[in-house]
Amino acid sequence: MMASFKLVWRNLTRRPLRSVLTVASIVVAVFLICSLRTLITTIRAGVENADSRRLAVMSATGLFVEMPMKYQAEINKIPGVELTTKFQWFGGYYRSQKNFFAQFAIDPDTMFAMYPECQVPPEQIEAFRTNRTSCLIGEVLAQKFDWKPGDTIPIIGALHPHPDDKAWEFQVAGVYHSSVPNFDNQTMFFHWDYYEETLKESGPMPGVGVFSIRVDKGADVPRVIADVEEAFQDSEQRVDCVTEAEFQRQFVTMFGNIPLFVGWIGSGVVLAILLACINTMLMSMREQTAEIGVLKSLGFTDGSMFGLLLVQALVLCGLGGGLGILFAWATSGPVAEQLGAMFPGYRIHPETYGLAVIITVGIGLVAGLVPAWSARSLRCVQALRGTD
Amino acid sequence: MSQSRAMIRVSEVTKRYQRGGETLTVLDSLNLEMDEGRFYALMGPSGSGKTTLLNLIGGLDQADSGELDVAGENLAELSGAGLAHWRAANVGFVFQGFNLIPVLSAYENVELPLKLTPLSRAERRKHAEFALELVGLKDRMHHRPKQLSGGQEQRVAIARAVATDPKLILADEPTGDLDRKSADQVLELLGRLNREFKKTILMVTHDPHAAAAAQSIVHLDKGQLGRIEHNQPAQAVR
Repeated sequence: MMASFKLVWRNLTRRPLRSVLTVASIVVAVFLICSLRTLITTIRAGVENADSRRLAVMSATGLFVEMPMKYQAEINKIPGVELTTKFQWFGGYYRSQKNFFAQFAIDPDTMFAMYPECQVPPEQIEAFRTNRTSCLIGEVLAQKFDWKPGDTIPIIGALHPHPDDKAWEFQVAGVYHSSVPNFDNQTMFFHWDYYEETLKESGPMPGVGVFSIRVDKGADVPRVIADVEEAFQDSEQRVDCVTEAEFQRQFVTMFGNIPLFVGWIGSGVVLAILLACINTMLMSMREQTAEIGVLKSLGFTDGSMFGLLLVQALVLCGLGGGLGILFAWATSGPVAEQLGAMFPGYRIHPETYGLAVIITVGIGLVAGLVPAWSARSLRCVQALRGTD
Repeated sequence: MSQSRAMIRVSEVTKRYQRGGETLTVLDSLNLEMDEGRFYALMGPSGSGKTTLLNLIGGLDQADSGELDVAGENLAELSGAGLAHWRAANVGFVFQGFNLIPVLSAYENVELPLKLTPLSRAERRKHAEFALELVGLKDRMHHRPKQLSGGQEQRVAIARAVATDPKLILADEPTGDLDRKSADQVLELLGRLNREFKKTILMVTHDPHAAAAAQSIVHLDKGQLGRIEHNQPAQAVR
């Protein structure tokens, strides 16, 4: 029989600062585990939720190298291609660089047909189509900057400066809502024509960053990919054609193998917190050595002393883990907002919370095992002398 | 030693310790019998084996050879858990340094051994309050040990020792850390437990004044039994 939960709790609170610091470190660790794990699940969700009929075409040199606009007509001629649309990364910012978000020049005639998950009220689509300098913004972006239809947004073109050396101005025509997690709600889309015509005034015809392709139902996707790449083999700019899933994976991993990197950080966090918890529990056990002797002399068994120390570790870690999970849950919205451009659909899954619980209990068990076993093995007279 | 039933029977008990590669024989083929319901003082110079014998009798340590029959049980036959259960049912300990759990109140300390009994929460409360009343500290039951004087702490420790109504109370230098007045209160309490509640008490001490409170004084010297003195009841400290 264990001594009592009251004793467990009082032992944990006898050194409040130490317990608070240990719990706080577990909170941070569990929050990081939840966040890092969610980065991985978000990357995977983007890949898993990708439309199997959509392909992406980009320069074989790299994602940031433009392709000639005439490629679109040639791609359209390839058998199995149902629709194409084009994107160009604008790379501007609103007022200051800290207000950075994604902006793309698009073709409204094909974009919405290609991406039905980008949902906009019909009257707002119509307003967008008819106003060449208008734009559509994601609902998170609208909330973040309190923008609404009719507002004019000045965007400083860092990659594509305005020929008149001023900010580009866009009128908000509508606010879109994404119905899938891997199409983020923090992007601004504006007219290709406005982009092209403005830039043509001062320089060469702008190119295209990415062509999106939708293949016919039942089309042989590998065949279409091979045909697209083959079509530009001897052109001025060779291309890579990949599935949407592969494109998403490449986009988020272009800075390295993020899942592996994140996995290493997560493992390091777990190991560090495990060592900290073991240290705390060993110090706690050392302070309680004489008391363990007293409890044994009163008739508490070796097994109950094992339980006392193990439960102390589990309560300490459980408290930290619980608060960490709560913190991760409470901050998931703001974190998703911050990471949305890079990791659209950032959302902590129940499985991730489950993993955090398992890790917390695991740390509690391992951290409690060493002192619990020591307490169990202590001879009564040895413990009463206060030596372990 | 008397016509009464033996509470403690020590037969040919030897205990050795290894220290720095040397073997020290602390108790050497010791034979001793103590009757139920009496108050004994165990005296002897430092290193004579007093505390070792007390620990063996209380089942806190094990003899290298020989037999210990205490409260009707041959301790050598009990497993670790068996000894723990036996201690809970039969022995109350009082230590020199009081050894109260500092994070628990006086009441919670006294209630602790009662948690090993099948008593309900209400019954445990009744028993613990009675024990605290017996030692005159019911009004301090919610105080933590650090809020009590040394003498009060030792009285709480005595309340904890008697809370489960054990047959045997083993006290290791219970007055060693106390001033004379507090020591006398503790000795009076132990005497009362022996007289009124028929507890068998074995108290290790090297203080002749404390030993005078006992009915019999057993002397140990170099791990062997020395003389046994019998006090008159009037010698007990009041």
